[in-house]
Amino acid sequence: MKSIRKIDAIPKLNGSWKFLDDYSYEEMIHGQLLYSTCHHGFIKKIAFPDGYNLSEFTMVSAKDIPGENIVPEPECDQPFMAEKEVFHFGQVIMGIAHPDRKLLREFISNTKIEYEELSAIIDIKECLENQKNAFGRELTIDHRTGKKPDPNWIHHHKIYYTPHQEQAYLEPQGMIAVWQPEDKIMFVRATCQCPFFVKEGVETIMSDTIKEAVIETSEGIGGAFGGKEDFPSLLAGITSLLSYKSGKPVKIVLEREDDIQITTKRHPARIEINSWTDPETKKIMKIDIDYRLDAGAYQTLSPVVLARGVLHAISGYCIPDAFIRGRLFRSNTPSNGAFRGFGAPQAFAAMEAHIDDIAANLKVNPYEFRKINIFKSGDEFPTTQPILEDHLSDCLECVIEKSNYLNKLKEFKEWNKTHKDKKGIGISIGYHGGGYTGNGEKVLNSEVKVVIKKDATVMIFVANTDMGQGAHTTLAQMFFEAIDHPREKCLVQLPNTSKTPNSGPTVASRTIYIIGNLLRKFAFKIKDELGFENLEDYVASNQNEFPREFRMNFVQDPSVVFDDENYVGVAYKDYSWAACVTEIYYHADTYQIELTKNWSVMDIGKVVNQKIATGQAEGGVLQGLAYGLCEFFYKPGYGRMHGFTDYALPTTMDIPEINIEFIHTDTPIAKGLGEIPMDFPAPSVRNAFHNATGVFIDEIPLIPERILGSIKNLELGI
Amino acid sequence: MKVSFKLNNKNVTINTDPMRRLLDILREDFNLLGTKESCGEGECGACTVLLDGKPVTSCLVNAVHIDGKEVMTPEGIAQEPLGKLLIDCFDETNAVQCGFCFPGFLVTSYHYLKTDGEKNLNKIKKALSGNICRCTGYQKIFESVMLACERN
Ligand code: FES
Ligand code: FES
Repeated sequence: MKSIRKIDAIPKLNGSWKFLDDYSYEEMIHGQLLYSTCHHGFIKKIAFPDGYNLSEFTMVSAKDIPGENIVPEPECDQPFMAEKEVFHFGQVIMGIAHPDRKLLREFISNTKIEYEELSAIIDIKECLENQKNAFGRELTIDHRTGKKPDPNWIHHHKIYYTPHQEQAYLEPQGMIAVWQPEDKIMFVRATCQCPFFVKEGVETIMSDTIKEAVIETSEGIGGAFGGKEDFPSLLAGITSLLSYKSGKPVKIVLEREDDIQITTKRHPARIEINSWTDPETKKIMKIDIDYRLDAGAYQTLSPVVLARGVLHAISGYCIPDAFIRGRLFRSNTPSNGAFRGFGAPQAFAAMEAHIDDIAANLKVNPYEFRKINIFKSGDEFPTTQPILEDHLSDCLECVIEKSNYLNKLKEFKEWNKTHKDKKGIGISIGYHGGGYTGNGEKVLNSEVKVVIKKDATVMIFVANTDMGQGAHTTLAQMFFEAIDHPREKCLVQLPNTSKTPNSGPTVASRTIYIIGNLLRKFAFKIKDELGFENLEDYVASNQNEFPREFRMNFVQDPSVVFDDENYVGVAYKDYSWAACVTEIYYHADTYQIELTKNWSVMDIGKVVNQKIATGQAEGGVLQGLAYGLCEFFYKPGYGRMHGFTDYALPTTMDIPEINIEFIHTDTPIAKGLGEIPMDFPAPSVRNAFHNATGVFIDEIPLIPERILGSIKNLELGI
Repeated sequence: MKVSFKLNNKNVTINTDPMRRLLDILREDFNLLGTKESCGEGECGACTVLLDGKPVTSCLVNAVHIDGKEVMTPEGIAQEPLGKLLIDCFDETNAVQCGFCFPGFLVTSYHYLKTDGEKNLNKIKKALSGNICRCTGYQKIFESVMLACERN
């Protein structure tokens, strides 16, 4: 729980910590991407502007690719660059490089591409309503009893919609490739989450024209949130090709407008729920969930997002008869991808809304209704995975008490009687399975390496990147605290694929949970093996044994057995649990919701560094609240957003007071923290708005236009 | 065009295109890499510097605007006593996450401390409203600036 300071905070503040764009190499030239401005069509002609000396430019397109024109992904269906046909706006057609960054920008923006346009789906609803657009593998979790619903049970049917969400990492995507012909190495400096994915991407596109791709991250990775999981593979492939062709180091840093328009977003979803509730016991007896995601033009990693989505779709309730069906839908928009939460925020946005809908209908307060239905140890998930602890309901109880929820319900009801503006309070809960789904961690077989030097410095080699979560501080802390080694003698090295073993990608809330706990065990193992009390003393008196290298692999707990065909079994070994209460103030004249307070209670197991964990949780909760309140990326009649001018990010003026508390921290295991704070808050905003006004809105975010549309026909009782 | 200005307390002169962005001048001509480009359109504050003591987004300021003026970047501010105090407070609270926005927050907070400095949450929120941070949820940033106000 010690809140040691971060290793990188001071250099980040005084500007000396290097982010991608802060690196340069001798003779380096600049690259940019030329991408499709047509949603679907054949490329007929590319016309470069007059007045430029074309021989100064290096250009690459699909036909220059020596290897395969397919980005390695869970589903390999997306090319690095389009060949003849483009399937979405933003599809890369060429990479172009020139020594002058500004001139290159002008050249590209004046390049005209002619297309033969074909029909395209860009509207989210048009994509998700039409079952003909479904593609890829359908996932089902079938926990049906086969019995017909009792005629007394109350049937609820609703369809919920969630929008795209932009990661909006402050540092845009960027890549530098340095071709080294002498040893046939493609060196790539990347701002990314997954150096080994980038390596695979570069080796796929370059094939045997290179011996190896070596990826090293920049010191600073200016935020990622999932957005730097797979797009960097594509970018690195094209940057490498440009470096190979020009023989010079090439740097591509995307302009914000390009970044926002062509990179991956959170998948928009349409989630249809049919439920049947026993009015006597107030228990939900049967549920049917149809979970649909707009994947964009290609599947890429969407199947994995879909998997997590269906596995979290039922939220935290014990429903004896459940059927969940998940499908991907195709549209002519850039492939959607990873974003903190990975399918779970959509699931909770729908199910936590549905819970309030049923509760309102049965005239039970939302807390009581949750309390009746929440799962407890002895219950099971629809996959039959047993629930082993009551920590979810502990989170709920704790947050209800901390927020003084029951009193506020009464208080706001009174206040609202005499005011045109309204006050509201809403609940939502959530959870997140740590690490890769099902057998994923077994397949990954993560390895970590430690080198102990002659001066007893411990160098930790892991592929997991620090993109702001403080991972490199916390990972080191988990190692040195285990063996009581001085902090300044234990350092995580900058990930580099030629020095770092593959400890897997920095995704799925797995860094601290899988790699951190592994490092902790590793520290104990080394201590046992060498038999020391104090590592510094041991190294001092056994100098000839050092430097020495140690390696260790992650071994999955044998209880994790998952049938990937039928979606039965243990999908995740450990879950983080959470519940929150959000208070809002509704400005009736402007149809605006002001967030006033949020209490979030989470069980993330052991908290390694209290301040780092709290900070990360606060940031995640705000992203979650903004998902419910203001963020969206596409608007019918307007199209997609272009930058920070039209994409509404929360500023210092929009935020509520956020109170984070961690419970059940007295355990040796640190569970996932990265994603859970994003998973659950959004529906609390929607539920608070209902509490304030009596109006349910089934599509987030709750922007004024949407509120206006929904309440137009309803009397607010003033 | 010949442009002379004071940069982090030193007089400098450059020959440049009058429309060149201050952001590029700092990064390319002076290797002052603490000033970051995130949005390039004046929305995020990552590129904030002080121009004659006032915070401006350097992606929207051109060379012609700085002639005869005084520019302070995060590197310069980090050397000032108030800058050092702020850095220590940001560090102590573990406020810094990815850090890409932080040089900008340092500049704006420094300006607040210099011109007002009252330990008042609403005033601080307002003062920092031109800077976007995607990682922190802002709470630890407020906490740090409040701490700096208290210690100043
Ligand atoms: S880069 Fe200048 S305000 Fe965003
Ligand atoms: S710390 Fe990452 S954007 Fe502020």
